[in-house]
Amino acid sequence: MQRKENETPQGQAASVLVEFLEVAITAVVFLKGVYPSGFLLPSLDSPSSMPFLFFFFFFFLLLLLLLLLLLLLLLLLFDVGKGAFERRRYMNVVVQRARHPQLRYYIHATVSGLLPFLQKGMVDRVAVVFFNTDNVPLEKFIFKLTVNQSYGSSVEGVDLQISLRSFLAKLSVSESLTKKLPPDCRWEITGNFQLLPETGTSKEANFWIPTDTKQWEQPLFITPIRSMSSDPLCLQFYIEHPSLSESSVL
Amino acid sequence: MDSRLSNSSSSTHHSNSKKRKKNATANNTNQKTLGVAWGSKSLSASSCSSRKSPFSDFSSYMAHKNCKLQNQFDSEASASAARKPIFSGVSIFVDGFTVPSSQELRGYMLKYDGRFENYFSRHCVTHIICSNLPDSKVKNIRAFSAGLPVVKPTWILDSIAANRLLSWVPYQLEQVASNQPKLSAFFTLKSSKMSEDTFTNALCQVEPDVQDSFPRVGQLKERHPSEVGEMVEVCRQISNESNDISSKKTDVFMMEEPIGERVICDEEKLAEANSSETNNERNTEGELDPTYQEPSTSFSIPCSDNQNVHQFPSSEATGSSKQCHSTLTDPNFVENYFKNSRLHFIGTWRQRYRKRFPTLSTGLNNGISNSNKSDIKSVILHVDMDCFFVSVVIRNKPALFDKPVAVCHSNNSKGTSEISSANYPARSYGIRAGMFVRDAKALCPHLVTFPYNFEAYEEVADQFYSILHRHCNKVQAVSCDEAFLDFTDAMVEDPELLASSIRKEIYETTRCTASAGIGGNMLMARIATRTAKPNGQCYITPERVDDHLNQLPVDALPGIGYVLQEKLKKQSVNTCGQLRMISKNSLQKEYGMKTGEMLWNYSRGIDYRSVGIIQECKSIGADVNWGVRFRDMKDCEHFLINLCKEVSLRLQCCGVQGRTFTLKIKKRRKDADEPAKFMGCGDCENLSHSVTIPLATENVEILQRIVKQLLGCFYIDVKEIRGIGLHVSRLENADTSKQGTEKYTLKSWLTSGSASVEKQKYHMGHNKHNSDCANCASSHGCIHSQGSSFQIDNKILNIHVSGDPISTPPPLCQLDVEVIRNLPSEVFSELNEIYGGKLIDFIAKGKGKCESSSSLGNSLEDDAATCKEEDLPYSDPIPLNQIFSENKAMQHERVLGSGHGSCSQVTHNSNIERDDLLPSSLSQIDASVLQQIPEDLKAVILEHLPAHRAQDFCSTPAICPGRINQDSVGVDTSKNCPGTVNHALNDSLWAGNLPSWMDKFKDSSCLRKLGEIYHRSGFNSQLSSVLPQFLSEFHHLDLTQEIYDETVNIMCELLKQYVKVKIERDIEEIYICFRLLKRFAVKSQFFSRVYNDIFPFLQAAVDDNYGGSLFMP
Repeated sequence: MQRKENETPQGQAASVLVEFLEVAITAVVFLKGVYPSGFLLPSLDSPSSMPFLFFFFFFFLLLLLLLLLLLLLLLLLFDVGKGAFERRRYMNVVVQRARHPQLRYYIHATVSGLLPFLQKGMVDRVAVVFFNTDNVPLEKFIFKLTVNQSYGSSVEGVDLQISLRSFLAKLSVSESLTKKLPPDCRWEITGNFQLLPETGTSKEANFWIPTDTKQWEQPLFITPIRSMSSDPLCLQFYIEHPSLSESSVL
Repeated sequence: MDSRLSNSSSSTHHSNSKKRKKNATANNTNQKTLGVAWGSKSLSASSCSSRKSPFSDFSSYMAHKNCKLQNQFDSEASASAARKPIFSGVSIFVDGFTVPSSQELRGYMLKYDGRFENYFSRHCVTHIICSNLPDSKVKNIRAFSAGLPVVKPTWILDSIAANRLLSWVPYQLEQVASNQPKLSAFFTLKSSKMSEDTFTNALCQVEPDVQDSFPRVGQLKERHPSEVGEMVEVCRQISNESNDISSKKTDVFMMEEPIGERVICDEEKLAEANSSETNNERNTEGELDPTYQEPSTSFSIPCSDNQNVHQFPSSEATGSSKQCHSTLTDPNFVENYFKNSRLHFIGTWRQRYRKRFPTLSTGLNNGISNSNKSDIKSVILHVDMDCFFVSVVIRNKPALFDKPVAVCHSNNSKGTSEISSANYPARSYGIRAGMFVRDAKALCPHLVTFPYNFEAYEEVADQFYSILHRHCNKVQAVSCDEAFLDFTDAMVEDPELLASSIRKEIYETTRCTASAGIGGNMLMARIATRTAKPNGQCYITPERVDDHLNQLPVDALPGIGYVLQEKLKKQSVNTCGQLRMISKNSLQKEYGMKTGEMLWNYSRGIDYRSVGIIQECKSIGADVNWGVRFRDMKDCEHFLINLCKEVSLRLQCCGVQGRTFTLKIKKRRKDADEPAKFMGCGDCENLSHSVTIPLATENVEILQRIVKQLLGCFYIDVKEIRGIGLHVSRLENADTSKQGTEKYTLKSWLTSGSASVEKQKYHMGHNKHNSDCANCASSHGCIHSQGSSFQIDNKILNIHVSGDPISTPPPLCQLDVEVIRNLPSEVFSELNEIYGGKLIDFIAKGKGKCESSSSLGNSLEDDAATCKEEDLPYSDPIPLNQIFSENKAMQHERVLGSGHGSCSQVTHNSNIERDDLLPSSLSQIDASVLQQIPEDLKAVILEHLPAHRAQDFCSTPAICPGRINQDSVGVDTSKNCPGTVNHALNDSLWAGNLPSWMDKFKDSSCLRKLGEIYHRSGFNSQLSSVLPQFLSEFHHLDLTQEIYDETVNIMCELLKQYVKVKIERDIEEIYICFRLLKRFAVKSQFFSRVYNDIFPFLQAAVDDNYGGSLFMP
């Protein structure tokens, strides 16, 4: 995380935020279990004990077999058994990282596409939206951002990271707050801009297209997960659910 | 390019080409196809003949007939033994009854190597022979003759008698002659200019040469019958070769006169070529005749000959006879292109104008200071000639005044050239500029078309401007036929009278009509002209502005083009009245900051531009998007070399050098057809590459090298190129950059600029006379007394916006002390040097001054002060201040915004405070403007608003979101009456370091407890952390009924305040608090009441901020 000296505090905050968002969005996707997680992973914790044979002859034979089995098991573990995510460390918290390059790229590209707008404070919120097969949103994870544009003094990146780390920690234990998703669901990242960036003004603006994501008709429920209010960055992280009546219809 | 080649070598080329031609004529099959093409006008003819059924339709029949006649003629011609090639290249068509009969004439043509056509075809006939014409044909001579000369048969007889080809001009049919442009007079005038000795010197040499080359001309014509334009070219080249032309020879060339549509310009070229021949290398000189701005007076003669000869077979091979005018056949294409371009004429006109009226155009700047007297109603006059391009051409032809007339490039039979201007009778037929002649003719069959007459345009434009300058010293030229005049200072009694006298004078001098519009600003004047047209005038008084604008369609506003209009239409905005309904904010959101502001202003008739500000050009370049066709890389490079020359010349004209070079290429789209416009660019992709070099240049060589490199970047097939443009930007003044080391110093930058030196010196001197600060102070005073500071600021804003780079070191007194003091030391020392060390004194004095006014002093007012300083009489716009004026500009903007709101409310304070820049009431502040201002500046402005305003302001949530914490107005009052708990409490309970509620609720036992706990935990901690403790302790308290109610109220109020404070920035905290509260509500009735009371409020607050309700499981 090298940062230029001449960067504005907003710029610094934005670049920290972008990194954080990438991790956090991955964590959300992992949490929701859209992609398979390693199914053979638990099996490692319960090793099977082998019966011991008294006969030497058989002993050697079985030893060989055992070795072969272990090899197979290891192979399985590393190739097949692994899920879509791998464990990584970020800000000293254990986080998940997508293994599939496309998934990783999608998250990375989307979030880094936000960077110029974050710096300008144009982004109102970033949402991770989960849909069912009918493209009706089921659950939204919302990061509501406020970047104080007038904040003048420099930002201590470490402080910001500590605050942001708590988001990740909190997120990992808030599975109970979320709803179970049906199989075959879809998800996407959307950004709510305060005002539409003029296309053509910058190259980045052209990456963003207006979404036609369906909105809930009933008032929605908000479950806050974590908030942070510091200068120049103020971040609210909460989940939006459709109201109960609607969810029963779905 | 070896451009100086002797005549002998060029004549060998001629003989070469002649041989080739003969070979080709002998080739029978080729002849056949040509014949086919000649005979039929329709394209289908050739395809028909390729099919083996010769007489399937009329056109193929005609084709065959023509072919046969041709062959017959050829065989007869070869039979007649001794023939002199008098009429070589001449192909006649006899129309009607002639005195030697058509058969006789045919015989003559046979004898003397001419050609005789039985059927008229524009492609192969060069002369029309007739002795009389019916009236209808005379009227529409162009349609009839297709621009070919109409000559009496005596021409042929006399030519035979003289044993050489005579000029046909004297033999022109009288009926027609009167209708055709009379250029002979002009031509002889020019040629008489030529020096006597070269004349005699060259004559003997020229004589055979021209003789020699002329047959070639004829043959070329034979080969490429449609290459009319090229013929003119060739002629011109010959004229170059011949160094001089006797009047007789001139006539020979004059023969081509009515052929080309570009005759006049070609003549001009010819003449120019002649006159410039004496100084052969004119292009290297860089200095150009100020009246002739067409920078391309160089001709690359022998090279072009080569190319011509080479190219003919190839174009023949492609079977296309339409290659004329393209880069393929015309080596001097670039030059000719720009000579014949109307847009180029208009574009370069400004340069000409500036050279012609140099003192006048720069002298305008002192006008800015004069406009301090802003209480005087400004009077702006906009004068615009009526359909300039047409009316100039027909000004000597009164018969055509009420006939539909249009000006266009070419008048070929297909009508694929575009009309560039049409007069009002023509417009009534629906003829518009940009239309194809073909379509226009369909709308109005008797439309008369004329070619351009740039000579005349220039003459009329000069007359026009000299009249304007005579009447007014503040003239801003918009275009060659359009100008703004500022009569504000002239104290005109009746602007209408003045306008009519100007118009009358224009009409009398130029015989062209002009329209005038008068208004309070440039916008209104322009709009007035629109209604005045044609040949009228209109005065929109300030009172009538609103009425006038209300019904005005939006596209009448300058700056609103097709795209913007369409966008507005989608919003169902068609008139300015409707446009006014939209707020400035949403306009800016929709269309961008500048455009939005412009729309908002213009729809209200507001225009802050002032007359006389000329924008310096940012880039110079040349584009050629017409007739660009290359066969190979060599063609392309040759073309680029010429383009570089052109651009380099233009740079030299403007006296600038550039650092960034951009090459733009139009590449034919893969699926694009041949464009509808002849030789047009059609459907193209636009590609561009640019390069920036460290040292600015206008050198042709360097340019050529750069351009070659750039072209390499495209990796493009040259055959696909349909247009090329070269632009130079990051311009620097040539004079300063020549000074080498001084190039990048501040001084050179300050002292550069085109303003007249004397004037500047005068300013300098003038200001030095008066001692600096005294001048400052007095001028302050006077400006104050002149009142309305808004107007002044607007003026300054204009200066800033327009970025007029007229630069002279500003007088000391105009410098902003604050700015100077904050300059980096090196810049300061440099500036100090420029001012000869006076700057230090100035700073010292300035400090004193600042301190004296420091009671009011803050950055805002300093800015304001500088603004006024800038507005000293005689002051020039100061670039120095421009640099640092960013925040000043911001401030202006604010003032501007407020100005919009209520200009009329500006009051004159007799005891003028420095504060008077600030609007007297909040209503004058444009919130949207304020919002755009950076936070710190906003804070300063808010500070300076009187307290009551500030409060208003802060409570406007749109402007200061999240300012609730600071909003501590009510605290003091509520402190005075502690103990009385009511709902009139302000939003201040949680404000400050020590929340005020702790103070207030001391007497309430339960909340005291809460306060204690809160205190213990450190004040800045959150309520959620103290709440559990409080709640657990709360059980120990027992409350009586009345206290109970009151406590519930207090608690609710407290929580409400807390929600208000936190909801926006910390929803989690709220969530936790209320989860806790809910949990306790199960146990305690007190909390259940509190919870129930507060919950709806909470949900409303969440809904407001997040668009949903908090989920409480």
